[in-house]
Amino acid sequence: MSDEGQSIFSNRFLFLREWITNVKQSRRHLADFLFKAALTAIVVIIIAPFFLIVFQVASIGFWQVFGTGRGQGIEFFLTFPGVGLEGGIRNAIVGTVELVVLASAVGIPLSVLGAVYINEYARSGLVRNIVEFTSDVLAGIPSIVIGAFGFTFLASFLNLGMGVLAGSLTLAFMMIPTVLRTTQEALRAVPMSLREGSLALGATKWSTTWNVTMRAAFPGLVTGVLLAIGRIMGETAPLIFTAGNSLSVPTELVGSGSWVASIPYTIWAYISDPREYLQAKAHGAALGLMLMVLAVTVVANLISRKVTRRLV
Amino acid sequence: MVEISHNIEIHNLSTWFGSKKILRDITCYFRDNSVTAIMGPSGCGKSTLLRTLNRLNDLVPSFRREGVVLFRGQDIYKPGSSVYELRKRIGMVFQKPNPFPMSVRDNIMYGPKLHGVKDDNELDKIVEDSLKRAALWDEVKDELDQPAPNLSGGQQQRLCIARALSVDPPVLLMDEPVSSLDPLSAGKIEELIVELKKDYTIILVTHNVQQAFRVSDEAAFLYLGELVEFNSTKKIAVAPQDERTEAFITGRIG
Ligand SMILES: Nc1ncnc2c1ncn2[C@@H]1O[C@H](COP(=O)(O)OP(=O)(O)O)[C@@H](O)[C@H]1O
Ligand SMILES: [Mg+2]
Repeated sequence: MSDEGQSIFSNRFLFLREWITNVKQSRRHLADFLFKAALTAIVVIIIAPFFLIVFQVASIGFWQVFGTGRGQGIEFFLTFPGVGLEGGIRNAIVGTVELVVLASAVGIPLSVLGAVYINEYARSGLVRNIVEFTSDVLAGIPSIVIGAFGFTFLASFLNLGMGVLAGSLTLAFMMIPTVLRTTQEALRAVPMSLREGSLALGATKWSTTWNVTMRAAFPGLVTGVLLAIGRIMGETAPLIFTAGNSLSVPTELVGSGSWVASIPYTIWAYISDPREYLQAKAHGAALGLMLMVLAVTVVANLISRKVTRRLV
Repeated sequence: MVEISHNIEIHNLSTWFGSKKILRDITCYFRDNSVTAIMGPSGCGKSTLLRTLNRLNDLVPSFRREGVVLFRGQDIYKPGSSVYELRKRIGMVFQKPNPFPMSVRDNIMYGPKLHGVKDDNELDKIVEDSLKRAALWDEVKDELDQPAPNLSGGQQQRLCIARALSVDPPVLLMDEPVSSLDPLSAGKIEELIVELKKDYTIILVTHNVQQAFRVSDEAAFLYLGELVEFNSTKKIAVAPQDERTEAFITGRIG
């Protein structure tokens, strides 16, 4: 008797429990659904800017770059702006190439040799810590501040004036942290046993570093260099006070003949200009710059993928 | 002083990393044209001993040494003696194959070029000779310009042996050269070691007792940095003198 009562009670209780569980579950389903929806929205928000940027740049600048009319396509890149800025942006293309090449010529050897020194030679951890700390801080300094420093230190204090030299040296400051750190990373990834293999053959430290360690680190090093180049190619702020501007190409390293245009600066100047026809040119230049940076990034990725395949 | 009759002799050698004493008062010699196995459990100081012989431990700032290591009668740690010349005469093969990231040919030519061989014909001859002596020539003679890291693990290790032989060292140090390889490749390299002892003094570190018995003529048993036993391999295999040696070769320690 008491047995039966208990089982009826527990049956009823079971039923109740099931009902509660169902409500709880459907609530859980709802919460799950809302959460998924929110995540989807977030993903859309995250990827939207990229497509919007491409859309904007392409819709205004596409024909400037890929059209075949007068002043469009290849002509846009090969002619100087001329009177009323009605021509192309050859000044900016040449300027950016010159600035990047000069900045690399100074920034890459400095950062690579610096990384080699602190990774392979420095005995004291103090030197390494100081270099790593300062370069990390340098990497975080806003580019406009670097620009201001370039103006004050290079253009004024060292009396270089504005132009291709001051501009490219300022860009070199910006390259140093990236190249230094990626080179260090690449050197650190080289197994100790590779260095020992060389030393055990009677090689000097220098020969080991140059012929074996650097060689093994080379692909990673190139990746870092290309990433840094891709980055400084698009910098405007460091150049505003340091490079000047020009409708043609620089004819000297310092002085008024050394003023130089660049693609990002030109984009900024054209977009701020009230003349309507400069909008298409600005976006055409932007498209050109994006393609250049993309090319550099793709090459960097190809090389770094090759490394991972070869080094393990 | 005793008569010098071996390429390498060690007298009362002790070493430290920092304040940690690793090797304890070791005295022994390594017979020419034979394989001497150094066996012992992991961490007992086998690698440290080997790397003291070609001064590779000099790379470790905290390394300290007492006692004498003689190479052909000369104290290798004597101030002013050239570490580069020493390492040219004492080759080394490492636990994990460590081919340089360059072609097979360049791996072999690296050492000779370093030591001043410039003539192309001579270099080609060295490449062929070294690869033949390492029993690798037939497998790679058509792929000399391929990147060495593309070779299989066993081939890489034989390449590293060929690379060590390229500067014609009378002594070859091998630190567990097959422990990272598959049994087939390991077998090939064991055969190679036996073949090479005709021309070289080989010091082979291993923690594999069976391997030591298969390939070595003399064997040293190292335990906690102490040279417990040093004798012909046959004697050690049949009748070890020290109970720790017996415990090790019967698998009770290590
Ligand atoms: N570079 C080093 N710095 C400090 N201690 C080391 C170093 N190399 C080896 N040791 C120590 O020396 C001892 C012996 O190591 P090792 O000679 O490599 O042993 P084995 O080769 O017999 O396994 C170990 O305790 C190890 O931790
Ligand atoms: Mg070891």
